[in-house]
Amino acid sequence: MAATLTAGAPARPRKRLASRRTRVGILYALPVVVYLLVLFVYPIFSTLLLSLKDADGSFTLHWYADALTGVNLSVLLTTLRISAETAVLSLVFGFVLAQAITRLKPILAGLAMLVVVVPHFVSALVRTYGWIIMLGDKGLVNETLTSMSVPGAPFQLLYNELGVVIGTTSMMLPYTVLLLYGVMRGVDRRLLAAASSMGAGKVTIFRRIYLPLVAPGLASAGLLSFILSLGYYITPALMGGPDQTMIATLINQQVTKENQWNGAAAQGVILLVLTLAGLLLVKVVTSLGASRKKRSAT
Amino acid sequence: MKDARIDRRLFLRGIGGVTAGVAAATALSACGTGTSRVASGGGKGGGKTVVVRDSGGSYGAALQKAIYTPFTQETGIQVKVLNLDDAPLLAQIKQGRPQCDLINNSMMSHTKYVAQDALERLDLDRIKSVKSAKIPENQITDHAVGSSFYGACMAYRTDAFGGKKPESWADFWDTKAFQGGRSMCNPDGDLPELEFALLADGVPMDKLYPLDVDRAFKVLTRLRGDIKKFWDSGPLPGVLLSRQEVTMSTVWDGRIADLQKQGVPVTRQLNGMRRQFQGYAIAKGAANADNAYQLMDFSLRAESQAALAKAFPSNPSSPLAYAKLTEDERNALAGAPKYYDKGFDTDIDWWLKNESAVTKRWLEWARG
Repeated sequence: MAATLTAGAPARPRKRLASRRTRVGILYALPVVVYLLVLFVYPIFSTLLLSLKDADGSFTLHWYADALTGVNLSVLLTTLRISAETAVLSLVFGFVLAQAITRLKPILAGLAMLVVVVPHFVSALVRTYGWIIMLGDKGLVNETLTSMSVPGAPFQLLYNELGVVIGTTSMMLPYTVLLLYGVMRGVDRRLLAAASSMGAGKVTIFRRIYLPLVAPGLASAGLLSFILSLGYYITPALMGGPDQTMIATLINQQVTKENQWNGAAAQGVILLVLTLAGLLLVKVVTSLGASRKKRSAT
Repeated sequence: MKDARIDRRLFLRGIGGVTAGVAAATALSACGTGTSRVASGGGKGGGKTVVVRDSGGSYGAALQKAIYTPFTQETGIQVKVLNLDDAPLLAQIKQGRPQCDLINNSMMSHTKYVAQDALERLDLDRIKSVKSAKIPENQITDHAVGSSFYGACMAYRTDAFGGKKPESWADFWDTKAFQGGRSMCNPDGDLPELEFALLADGVPMDKLYPLDVDRAFKVLTRLRGDIKKFWDSGPLPGVLLSRQEVTMSTVWDGRIADLQKQGVPVTRQLNGMRRQFQGYAIAKGAANADNAYQLMDFSLRAESQAALAKAFPSNPSSPLAYAKLTEDERNALAGAPKYYDKGFDTDIDWWLKNESAVTKRWLEWARG
């Protein structure tokens, strides 16, 4: 957050600070800063403290050792793996969908958006029931495949990693589609026309003009779905098996079943650190890309 | 600047995701939050409100119909309902400001609350119905009184085994004679079902506790490959059975009654049923303790328990309540006298000591 406040400050901060406008600006920002300090920074630090406290109040790292060994570690790795798979798949499908929607008439585009977003408002149990009707052994997909005598059918599409990724991807699609749709609408079509007038083929236009223009959107959409998936809980529990247990499930169990806040806090902090690491990674990649662009321009 | 701003938003969302599980639980129970401590200014016993915690859903709806509404009619005391998980409720009580007065919860949870010094010690003289309804001795503790129990038993598709009927947990494990997928509970749904594994392996019902954990997991391993889904919510076993995802599942008794009414070919087997008791306790620092005593007294009456049993498949703790039901209503309940010997009571003392370790081991086992 400190980054937000200072990110806009250019090379000569002192002169800036002195100006009247800046001082008024700081005054305006104060309520928000206080709000975030009290309701955001303070809780996070108390969580951090909680994760370092033993039952008797003394300092300890054993909650972290516990969270990073044995079954807890494998759950953490599962969480990362499923989140990555979800991010990639929702990017691919989101890209195709958003691309299709930008070509539709506004009314149809709105309708298509609605179809993408509506599943979000369906209760988890109803949605699960729906998925079982679709993907179960006696579900729509498998019945169709069996009647077409596809070899190997019926396939196990639920209660394994495939089921979870199908579920989480469908939950992430609204985010990626909405984000990418906005970015794609912002692309200046004349650039594509100009490229084609200079003899660029379709693939070249896509690769060298279109993709770089929507790349920032791709990065934020991928990161967003990765981060959101990290904390996912209901869908993996409903559509997966024990092998797809996510870390949020463990946190929930520790708090609600065992009243064990310290261990839960440690896992929460680990999740937070992973999220920050993801953000940092994207930041590094984008700034590397930007500096390379600058170098090639000069 | 723009980038930084978006990043911060992502960052905040990420945090939101982290806490989503807890937040969702809180949001679900938000319906009760507006009702807190309404009568706290009402003076000693003068308040006309009582706030009761229950787990909501169809059980909550049945409680409203069979207990709360008649209670308000009789006493004029308004009943407000709070659906809150244990963790936030315990936190509230520790802060000295519980949102609710009366707590409807499992007896095992009540015992956990007692360990945290979160419940009032009960004055049994103020709960007349404990005697009049003949609540069994073992369901009366210093801090809580058992009002009903729920049973976990076996449910199966009647069309799956060519007319054969599974009679015991050994049959549940016998995937040659009774083919098809199985479903058992996940620790999110209920206590791991070690007892069923031991029964299937030939341990007699009265010699279950203390559970032989190693042996139980060994037996569970034999069935692991046939367990398609570990259910984590009450309705799921019914869904799995009706969609023919599995042919046999463990289930909370009563949850398949609706399916049977719809004509789905499923039925239950009560042999080896595991009983867990549900009861009432008063939160430490409750604002309306007097009214809470009154509602508790009302709920434990045999008539009230019978009324609840008609609205929801919960099994009254009062033996007198069963006499107030028709033959059909009585026989639908797992608690009916003629079924009682088929099941066993969960030893909550054993589970309180071992739940955490068994849950962890369960996850290691299930992930294989």
